[in-house]
Amino acid sequence: MNIQMPRINRVPFFFKNQNLLIQCGIIFFIIITLTTLIGPFIVPNDPLTANMSERLAPPSSAYPLGTDHMGRCIFSRLIVGAQSTLGITALVVATVALIGIPIGLVIGYIGGRLDTVFMRVADGILALPEFILAIAIAGFLGPSLTNLMISIVFVKWIAYTRVVRSIVITERNKDYVQAAKVGGSSNWKIIRRHMFPQIVSPVLVLATLDIGKVILTISSLSYLGLGAQPPAPEWGAMLNDGRPYFQSAPELMIYPGLAIFFVVLAFNLMGEGLRDKWDVKSR
Amino acid sequence: MIENKTTATSENNLLVVENLSVTVRNSREKLIRNLHFSIPQGEIFGLVGESGSGKSLTATVILGMLSKSLEVTSGSVKLGQSEITSLSERELRNIRGKEIAYLSQNYQSFFTPFIKVGKQFIEIIRCHTDMSRKEARKVAIHWLNKVHLPAERVFNSFSDELSGGQLQRAAIASAIMFRPKLIIADEPTTALDVLTGERILDLLSELKEELNCSILLISHDLKHIINRTRTVGVMYGGRIVEIGKTSAVLANPIHPYTDLLLQSRLRLNKHIQHELPTMLGEPGLIAEEGCPFSKRCPSVRESCSNKVPMSSLGTHHSAACHLVKAEREERYVTR
Amino acid sequence: MLTIIKNRVTQLVVVLFILSLFTFTLMKMAPGDPVLTILNADEMVVTEEDQAELRNKLGFDQPLYVQYGKWMFNLMQLDLGKSYMSGKPVIEELLTRIPITAELTFFAMTIMLCITVPLGVWSAKYVNKWPDQFSRFLALIGASIPNFWLGLILIYLFAFKLGVLPSSGIGSYSQIILPAFTLGFTFAVVYARLLRAGLLQSLSEDYIYAARARGVKEWRILWLHAFRTAVLPVLTIFGLSLGSFLGGAVVVEILFSWPGLGSLAVDAIFNRDYPVIQGYVLLTGVFVVLTNLLVDLSYYVIDPRMKRKEEAL
Repeated sequence: MNIQMPRINRVPFFFKNQNLLIQCGIIFFIIITLTTLIGPFIVPNDPLTANMSERLAPPSSAYPLGTDHMGRCIFSRLIVGAQSTLGITALVVATVALIGIPIGLVIGYIGGRLDTVFMRVADGILALPEFILAIAIAGFLGPSLTNLMISIVFVKWIAYTRVVRSIVITERNKDYVQAAKVGGSSNWKIIRRHMFPQIVSPVLVLATLDIGKVILTISSLSYLGLGAQPPAPEWGAMLNDGRPYFQSAPELMIYPGLAIFFVVLAFNLMGEGLRDKWDVKSR
Repeated sequence: MIENKTTATSENNLLVVENLSVTVRNSREKLIRNLHFSIPQGEIFGLVGESGSGKSLTATVILGMLSKSLEVTSGSVKLGQSEITSLSERELRNIRGKEIAYLSQNYQSFFTPFIKVGKQFIEIIRCHTDMSRKEARKVAIHWLNKVHLPAERVFNSFSDELSGGQLQRAAIASAIMFRPKLIIADEPTTALDVLTGERILDLLSELKEELNCSILLISHDLKHIINRTRTVGVMYGGRIVEIGKTSAVLANPIHPYTDLLLQSRLRLNKHIQHELPTMLGEPGLIAEEGCPFSKRCPSVRESCSNKVPMSSLGTHHSAACHLVKAEREERYVTR
Repeated sequence: MLTIIKNRVTQLVVVLFILSLFTFTLMKMAPGDPVLTILNADEMVVTEEDQAELRNKLGFDQPLYVQYGKWMFNLMQLDLGKSYMSGKPVIEELLTRIPITAELTFFAMTIMLCITVPLGVWSAKYVNKWPDQFSRFLALIGASIPNFWLGLILIYLFAFKLGVLPSSGIGSYSQIILPAFTLGFTFAVVYARLLRAGLLQSLSEDYIYAARARGVKEWRILWLHAFRTAVLPVLTIFGLSLGSFLGGAVVVEILFSWPGLGSLAVDAIFNRDYPVIQGYVLLTGVFVVLTNLLVDLSYYVIDPRMKRKEEAL
């Protein structure tokens, strides 16, 4: 009876070209990376130099987007802030993957009691919402960027371990792995040759989508004052700085917000594009 | 050219399908091509073919439930006086369940699993009439009794609490409540064991006599059909390749596909002297041009890639194959 | 059914144990000596004896597991200690703030449902047509926009430019709209996609085909036959992301100056008021775990097949 139903899940036309979606994301990504890497060398003004005589100045040739409440160049702060926001995010996601993937490989491959214990612990940690956990860690260890990063890593690695674990478990029981075992391949070789290629695409998709989420978490917590501390030009912290002035000078919060929005959008586009392309199921 | 005589001749045809073609919207992929058949009042018509041959899709068209991604590109489907393909959604809904009833192969998914069976009976009744809940309940119980089920218990059960046979009976009860003119039974017995299946078919024939309705019996297996139907159509690749009185088709299958279907039946009472024939090629291999079976046909000829018309062999039997001609000549010679 | 509940409750206890252990460990890892904080050592002269006396009184000189045991014992009696700042019992502090956060969450969820359900149904009904694309577009925006920024923009537009809604404070209904919308929107559009996917899945089930073939009205098919199972994935994700919802509530509370639990926690962090932070973390943790339990159990109500399947095992 299902024959009269051809694939319903076709993609709407402006998303039809999957490659276009990825391309958009990749172009964004390149722009963002370039900005992050060379931005700090080409910014017109020093992001930390306050100039009280130029407070809340409108955009001019000297200050492309005007100045903030301390007379600092908003444009320069945004560009340099990209480095801090994205750098932290990249570091966090990389750490998470480096912790999560090996554990997932080992647990999935060995299985048994180790696996059961892990799943229990994972459930326990996941019951703690990421955001609350960040608040707990920031609360007990003091608000700082480092503590914020620790708390995100503490929660996030589990997702990677789970994904890798489930793939390894499915693959482990397949004939070709058994054949490789019988053929005398070492465990390490089996993991490297047969398991690793299988986990690359789901993990990449997960990581790409996570980058957006991590950026949002970091900036939200920085906005609360629990992350980057002033005067660091981090986007969330910039928003927090600008808040008292935003009735008179809304651009103080509009620009950093837009920056966050577009960067997260870029990674979400890329992540969705990759997910559709590789047909990775969202978990 | 002699047109298929089993269709369009008699006046008391309940369902007439003429020249029906269905394609995937915005593409040239044809799923049903120039389908032609009719079901007389009070008869059982069998439609046979392997999965993907377009049998269930034909049922979908008759029910007026074609998905939006498919479209009827030509032809007509007439139930009595009404043309199904041009009815509005609302009119169709009134016909479905009332004039045309549907039974599916997947009896487990016939009733929505988390709503009690009885509630769904009431739902059907109240969608088609103005009865109160109480009256509707009485009607439902009446019909459940009619199909020899413990009515009260079935009424208060979820579908997964019933056995396959019970479910199929309940499905039949829900189908016949409005004394439909046509029952479409899409593989009603395939998922059941042989005995239960036979009983279900007995029940259907019995009810057919009582209600004087017609039945379109769809199956992938000839043996389910041959004992029950008056006429039978064999479908391959969205076309009917052979159609006729069941007895005639049985006695003298013309199209090689029909022949193979018949031969591949296991006969338990006979000693198998020769190897069972296997079909050439993959199932579902369909030739785009000419006879759809030509890529797998053992007696394929060059002319098979041209359009092969239906030609008749006697008044109640016709096939779309060059062999019809040979057969006719043979008869002529032997006479 | 009873065995299911028993299993889930066992799980719940394990999770709560880990949660308590975690909070306790963090508490012990916190920099600074709580004894000195309580004695206000920055401003007053504190003798070694005073310290030792208090340490003994608080039980800090005992081994860690004894401390944990005592702490747990007090926890069971809902004794979370006293706030360093106000001196009031933590549980009291929490209880006065719960209704405010609950109000915000309730309205946010209402707004969320008001967006999710129509948007999800609408885009499932017109798959790949413009309503569907519109909802996908909204979902992308919703997943990319920082909700505090959305809140700021809304305040700027509605409070400062148009002057139709107040920018902060609690009490009247007009003050609820902006924060509730800020919190609800980003979740709503993402859940709408989930609902759409669930609906498409369940609309392609055989029993939907059969119901149509029986001439059941289209709205009945959608809401009575299809919607129910389509809600399951949404519920799962909802249960899992309730934490983010509460996290979002913290930001929104700060943004709109709502004196709820989130504001309490953030204030406590800046004041190093550890008992309050601990109380907050435990409370939200327990709440999230309990909600997940409810979500799990609701499966069996929504789809009775599951219940029987598990009981058969």
